[in-house]
Parts: sequence; C-alpha cells; structure tokens
Amino acid sequence: MSQSLRPYLTAVRYSLEAALTLSNFSSQEVERHNRPEVEVPNTSAELLLQPIHISRNENEQVLIESSVNSVRVSIKVKQADEIEQILVHKFTRFLEQRAESFYILRRSPMPGFSISFLITNKHTETMKTGKLVDFIIEFMEEVDKEISEMKLFLNARARFVAEAYLDQFVY
Amino acid sequence: MSFSQDKSVASVLKLVKAPIYSHCYSADRSVLAISCDKNCLVYRLHPQPQLIATLADHDKLVTAVDISIHGRIVTCSQDRNAYVWEPMSNGSYKPTLVLLRINRAATSVSWAPSGYKFAVGSSARIIAVCYYEQENNWWVSKHIKKPIKSTVTCLSWHENGVLLASGSTDGYMRVFSGFIKGLDSKEVVAGSPWGDKFPFGSVIREFYQGSYVHDLQWRSNQERVAFVAHDGTLNIADSQGNIISVNSPDGLPFQALLWVNDAQIICGGYSCHPVMFAADFQSVRFLKDLDKPNKGGNTPQSTPADGQEEEENAFSGISALRKFKELDLKGKVTADEQESAHENTIVQFRPYAESAGNVSQVSSCGLDGKIVIYAV
Amino acid sequence: MEDWRRIDIDAFDPESGRLTAQDLIPPYVQQTDPQAVQQQISQLKSFATSGDINSALQLATSDPPYGADDSTKALYFRAVLETLTQVRQADIANVVKQLQPQQQDVLIKYLYRGMSIPEGQRQGGILLAWFEKLTQVAGVQPVMHYLTDRRTV
Repeated sequence: MSQSLRPYLTAVRYSLEAALTLSNFSSQEVERHNRPEVEVPNTSAELLLQPIHISRNENEQVLIESSVNSVRVSIKVKQADEIEQILVHKFTRFLEQRAESFYILRRSPMPGFSISFLITNKHTETMKTGKLVDFIIEFMEEVDKEISEMKLFLNARARFVAEAYLDQFVY
Repeated sequence: MSFSQDKSVASVLKLVKAPIYSHCYSADRSVLAISCDKNCLVYRLHPQPQLIATLADHDKLVTAVDISIHGRIVTCSQDRNAYVWEPMSNGSYKPTLVLLRINRAATSVSWAPSGYKFAVGSSARIIAVCYYEQENNWWVSKHIKKPIKSTVTCLSWHENGVLLASGSTDGYMRVFSGFIKGLDSKEVVAGSPWGDKFPFGSVIREFYQGSYVHDLQWRSNQERVAFVAHDGTLNIADSQGNIISVNSPDGLPFQALLWVNDAQIICGGYSCHPVMFAADFQSVRFLKDLDKPNKGGNTPQSTPADGQEEEENAFSGISALRKFKELDLKGKVTADEQESAHENTIVQFRPYAESAGNVSQVSSCGLDGKIVIYAV
Repeated sequence: MEDWRRIDIDAFDPESGRLTAQDLIPPYVQQTDPQAVQQQISQLKSFATSGDINSALQLATSDPPYGADDSTKALYFRAVLETLTQVRQADIANVVKQLQPQQQDVLIKYLYRGMSIPEGQRQGGILLAWFEKLTQVAGVQPVMHYLTDRRTV
C-alpha cells in the first residue's frame, strides 16, 4: 500500500508546513475581536490564501484552506464500501463529540469530507508546528489502519455469529 | 532550557511562558521591555534580569512596545489603545493614554528617531502619527488613511524622522510622509532622493509585493528599505522604485529583519533560526544560517533516493526494518531533532550591541517566550 | 419584507476600503487573447504527441494564461493535464530539474489545480509523483509561493 501512500503524505506534509505560517491577527471587521478568519464569512479577501487540494484518488483527499491566522484541514478518509462508510462516520463522530480534548479538531467536518481540523495561531504558539504536522500525518495513517481493522473484526465477528447460528441446523 | 551548540548564540533568556510579540531595549541597554499577553513587563538587565515594573493598563493583548531615546515606553494593544509610559524617579512608570481615534486593534508602534513623535499601525487601515501637545498636555494623533486597504503590520521611520515606511496585509509596502509642522524642519529632507515636497500623509512611493508584508526596516544612509513578505522573500526597495529580492533558503517566510551593517541583513521567522543575507545595490543573496539545527529541524526532509543508503549503514537488523517502515509510512527521514535556541517563530529583532551603524549583537524575541542574543 | 437586520451596511460605504477577490489580482495581469491560448494549446499537444515532454513543460510553465477567462483556462489546463499524465514516472525527475524557480511555481499551480478537479483526481498518483519530485528539488518554497500568489491557472 505504501507505494502511493508515501507521496500523498509527503505532499500533505509539505503543504501543511507551508500553510502553518500563522500570525496573531485581530479582526478588521469587528471591534476588539480576534477570530479565525478562515471560519468567518469573510469580506476581506486578502486575508484568505489559496486553497490547497491534495488527492490520492477520488476517495482520498485533503483540503487545506488557510488564512492569515488559521488553517482548516479537511480529510476525506477512504470509504470503499458501505461498511467502511458507516465505520468512518461512527469513528469520526466519536472523535468530534470529544473535540475539546483534541484541541485542533473541528466539531463538524466540511461538507464532502470525513473530518476537519481547525488550527489557529493560538495552537501554533503553544505547540510545535512540526509536531502538529506529524500529528495530522499520523492521524491519516492510523485512521486508514483503524478502519480496515474494524472492518476485518466486523467481518470475523459476522462469520463467527453466522457459524454459531447455523450450527444448530447441522446435524 | 536547551542551549544550542552553535557559537552564534550568545545568551538565552527565558522570561515568560507566553509568546513575546515584541521587545525593546532602552538606549543604554540596561532596561528591557517585553510584551506579554495583556501586560508589558519591564526588566532591569544588570546584574541579573529582574522585573522592575508591570505596565498593566491594557485589557487586550499588547501587540507592540518601543522605547524612545528619552526612555519613554510606548505600548499599543488590540484593545485599540496606546499608552506612553513616562519613567518616574522612583522607578515606576506614569501612563498617559494616547488619543489614537482608531476603532480596531493597534498592531505596531515605532518612535521616530527624535523621540518626540511615534507612529501606530492598526487594523482600521490607518496609521496614526502621534505627538505631544504641550498646551493640552496630551498625545494627539494625525491619521494617514489613503490608500491603505488592509491591516498595517509594520512601521519603520527613516533617520530623518519624516519618511515613514509601512507594510500591510494588502501586499503593499508604502513610504509615507510623517511630517509634523512645528516638530520637523524642512531642512532634514532637503535633497532627499525620495522627492521634493513632503506634506503630511502623502504617499511618497508604493511597492507592490502581493503577499503580507511582515516586517521592514530603513537603511537611511543608503536610502533603501528592506522588507520581508509572506511568500518567503526578502526584498530591498530603493527611491527609484526598483526592488531586488531573494527567497528564504528553506522556503518558509520571515517575520523579522534587521540591517546588521551596510551590506548584511539578518532575517528570522517560521524556521526558528536567523539567516544572514548579503546585500549590495545590485543584488541580495543568501550568506549563511545561524544556529541552524543539524538534522531534521523544521523543514520536512523528503526521502531522496540516495539518502537511504546512508541510513542503512547506521542501522542494522530489526531497527533498519523499523526505520524503513517509518520512512515509508511518514515520508520523513529522521525523528531525532536538535533544537535551535528558539523553539518557535522568531517575531522581532532588535540591535543589542552596535557602534556607528554596525550591529555586533542582535537580540530576538519569539513565540516561545524567549529572548535570544546572537553574535553576528 | 427584506431582512434589513442582515444588510451589511459597511459594504455600501465606499470608504470602507474592503478588498474583494477581484481587487487582489495584480494590476499587471493582462487580458490574455483566447486565440493565442488556442495556439499554445495546439503547440503543447504537438509537443506531447511527439514525446518531447521537456519542451512541453517549458512551454506550459513559462507563459500560463493568467489573464484568460475561466473557460479558456479550463481548456488550457486540460491540455497541460494530459501532458503531465503522459510522462513516465522515471522521467519526471529529469524534467523537473530543468525548470527555473518561476516555472516550478507555475508547475505546482497545475498540480494543485489538477488535484482539485475530478479529472485530475483520477490521476492522483501521477500528480503526486510530480509533486514529490518537485519538492525534492525545491522544498517548501513553491508551496509557499502558491499560497500567496493570487494569479491562478
């Protein structure tokens, strides 16, 4: 698998590295507010930078939207069949409901994506940028692994249940 | 605290846990003022760094601090205000509110070399040039509005105290006139290559860069302005409207710069270590890295094909397998990193020791709450 | 009745000084003549069919149609994408090495653009291979330039 996963993750790594160059930026629109410019309906176009799309194929994509003081990273996790769709949905939903303990996790994903992160200048000031990038990369690998493991487990269990159930018809 | 092996790091001061957005020394380098969250902290440096005052009148993040040649401290903050702090004989500071008349955050502040006026940049797309009015006993401001289209991020005064360079997030570096009648005399700008007339607030020159301008500084004797922008470039503009520029060696943008002497500029930013550039009138080019971590660091190392063989010798058996797995999965070469003195973005440089326009020691502050002094 | 509470009154203030996406496009970008772009496309295709990837890439990255309208850009981009995906994996590194820094900046725009549309996403593997080779040569610099450059392909 890793043959084409590596360039994908490398691309994400470089793009994040460049996008995570944030500064503290007070709102130009609202007095005495300091808000992530990527999240607000923005009337000042200069504060948003070019969005970055990285896709391995149609099912695996990353969208990095950056602004002067915040970056939104949305990940589309591979979903090959209906079981994976359900698993991904359950898994990301579980994380999102606990978003406050993940700091950079966004409570709801962007439309069309499985999970989104919101990184602001507060995060890059208190955490190491390199480690933040590592975390997201690691998450991307782990989530794939996790989903396929869960799917295997589910299949194994289904087989076991079926066998146990059908046992009684065997004589 | 991690000390780097690099010789260029003269000393590291770990003062606070919060990011330091701005710092400044008094003229004799005995007093250091840093911005820290909603306060400005003033330290006496000798014999030991010791906190002597906390300037706490702001109620939002303090964005910039500067000390005039007379020892007055000016602070500005995202609460839209600026204060001038007059040092008293008992060691305390007396605040005076400055009537900036802006309705958004103040982002940067800079005393004119004379110490009788200063400029404040703001998110309200305004530069306020402030001076003291004797008869009313307060600091009043005059606005420069046009044609600024976005937040003013940085300011720098020419040595003559009239030309004011500003950078903003709309991608322009502009040179304005900050001429205040009664304070400045026309003689100082006589024969300036930048023009003949300098009415207050007029745009003398405008340079389009395209991305956010993070920092800039005049080199007055050369009549040039150096500025760094968000696309990772260092640019030098002259009075003829020419720009020469160079890219950051590792691609990440700079947040701060300082002219070290007539031919050298030091820059620092998201790569967390300073970089020296050599600048003459024709070109500007990369000179050397200071305090650069040997391995890993902040720039991601992709996996060049020839790099893998080198790794092979160092590891054998299972660990080599693990190493390759790591390589393959994360697209990175190595996990161990040697730290540079700054662990986070460098946001400002100040001269620490200088004689006749040549800086021998540079002080920097960073988002990691450290002040680092580099010998250059 | 119109929901007057939601009217953005600042937008009506000519003094507000807000910048729109249109304002950000640098003043020196000229309107590109669609005819000229057509010519470039056919030239590009002839390079690609004769297998001269180097010249094709040089052409595509030295004069991108920044000033053209969206449909012309899409047309041009399709031609570029075809060229990019024709290259054998082994040749990519050599082609990338021939490019000047400005051309690298343009190439990365094509790559990101490619990965943002379905046609390119199907070819994600090869675009990522281009990307990897490019970053091996130039590091994070072209990405940084891409982020801040307002001119699009």
